[in-house]
Amino acid sequence: MNKYIKTARLSAGEKTNGGILYLMPDVLIKICTLIPLIFLWRVVMSSGVQVGMSFEQMLSYTYVSAILADMLVVKTSASGWLSEGVLLKLYGRPLPVLSQLVAQTIGGWMPMLLLFSLPMALLAPLLGVNLVPATPLFFISLLLCISLGFAIDVLFACLSIKLRNMSWLIDRIRVAVVTLFSGTVIPIQLLPFGIDEVMRYQPFASLGGASLSIFVGTANAREVIALQIIWNLILWPAALLVFKKSQEGMVSYGG
Amino acid sequence: MADRITLRRILKLLAISAKMDLVWLLRDTKYTLAGICADMISNIATVSGVFLIAARFGGIGGMSTDEVLFMMAYSTLVTGIFIMFDGNNIHVSRMIGRGQLEHMFIQPLSLKVQFFTSGFMPFSGGINVVIGTILMIIAVGQLGLNITPWWVLSLIAYLLTTMTIIVARAYLVSSAAFYAPVTCEEISTTVIDGNWFLSTFPLSGMPRFVQIPLLTVLPEGLMAWFPTLALLGRPPLNLTALYPMFFALLISLLASIIFRRGLNHYVKKGSNRYVPYGFRR
Repeated sequence: MNKYIKTARLSAGEKTNGGILYLMPDVLIKICTLIPLIFLWRVVMSSGVQVGMSFEQMLSYTYVSAILADMLVVKTSASGWLSEGVLLKLYGRPLPVLSQLVAQTIGGWMPMLLLFSLPMALLAPLLGVNLVPATPLFFISLLLCISLGFAIDVLFACLSIKLRNMSWLIDRIRVAVVTLFSGTVIPIQLLPFGIDEVMRYQPFASLGGASLSIFVGTANAREVIALQIIWNLILWPAALLVFKKSQEGMVSYGG
Repeated sequence: MADRITLRRILKLLAISAKMDLVWLLRDTKYTLAGICADMISNIATVSGVFLIAARFGGIGGMSTDEVLFMMAYSTLVTGIFIMFDGNNIHVSRMIGRGQLEHMFIQPLSLKVQFFTSGFMPFSGGINVVIGTILMIIAVGQLGLNITPWWVLSLIAYLLTTMTIIVARAYLVSSAAFYAPVTCEEISTTVIDGNWFLSTFPLSGMPRFVQIPLLTVLPEGLMAWFPTLALLGRPPLNLTALYPMFFALLISLLASIIFRRGLNHYVKKGSNRYVPYGFRR
């Protein structure tokens, strides 16, 4: 376990090697997006349309989504492993590649958790945001969400191996699609024209949006968790199988 | 000796970039088509979120669903024009940070002309202009707007203004890369791409302490919201419809001064990014 903790530490250190100041634009952008988003919800929720969610719930949903963003939609360095020389680092160490990726990713979350999430969580009561989950089942759901996030990330990484020099394009499509389909920015239950019913059962919906809806108490926790378990059971074996088959096709062209 | 720069020469330089873009499309069609799809999907995912909220709630803060659609069409056009002219020359901190300005110094053209003409990609980058135009036609039809030549000229002027603000802000923050090339290599990405989603927010109905910073310090409100309301004939906050133009002028002047200073520093100190055998530090 110690070696994974060291890998995570290295990864956290990597993010701050350029100085903490380097992370400040990201922190500022997160804050500058969060504030207008809260007011956007305030404006639309004041229209009186019944959507099965109160403004207080929406506020918590948006706030938690921002402070746990990295965990709700997991992104490892694997998406750029062909073009950024990550491969050499991962295969040069006497540790399993996927386990390293997990340790690296968790370590990479730390600077933003300390610089953004922690201060924002401390500020929450002053802003009138409730950060107490509606049910403790949220924590189980969050773990399943993170686990599923890693599986989906590995699948996308394998796609980038298959398509060779298209890793940047795959990443671009992936960010756009996952942001919309995971419900982390716009809760799936708010989508019109019956789209919400269709979207609920696709795998991305079991990522952040699922955990957030349990957090604010707008979803049946047991049903959502059952769906998350099903997607984990389907996508993890698929990810491992595809990864095993993809390894020999890796071509690193960057560094 | 530098070439004499005329409009004809600029058009020829743009044509060279366009030709290279076409060659890319013809020689590596699969990759280029994937790039076109990526641009399209990425933009649709960004703008559809806000539009779907508007559809669900019957509008946002006094803007009807059709007006929000109009705003999303404007935003898509801006995205399209941006991509069409950005071959890293708008994400300029990347070029500065990687020491690529050196490549430009040996060309017989001024930096300004090279920055303006080098990234033109009408074939691979034009898809969002097409989608934006279609969305704009639909939105205008839904809103029943009276389209006059003056209105079309106003739309073009606002699009140019929005682009000026984007480019000026990118060059302003990218100047930091002259002093800290490694740390600030991607600062333009953080500022441009990090705020793109925010620029699709209709700010109508929000309190002034949110609206005003988004029209000044962090001008995301000028990317689509303000121009949309101005084109619909009701510029927000009792401001003149020409406010974005004034802002564009100010930020361009500021960016020009700061960028020149950075460039002066760079020509004296150079870039330390490459080791003698070619790898980047």
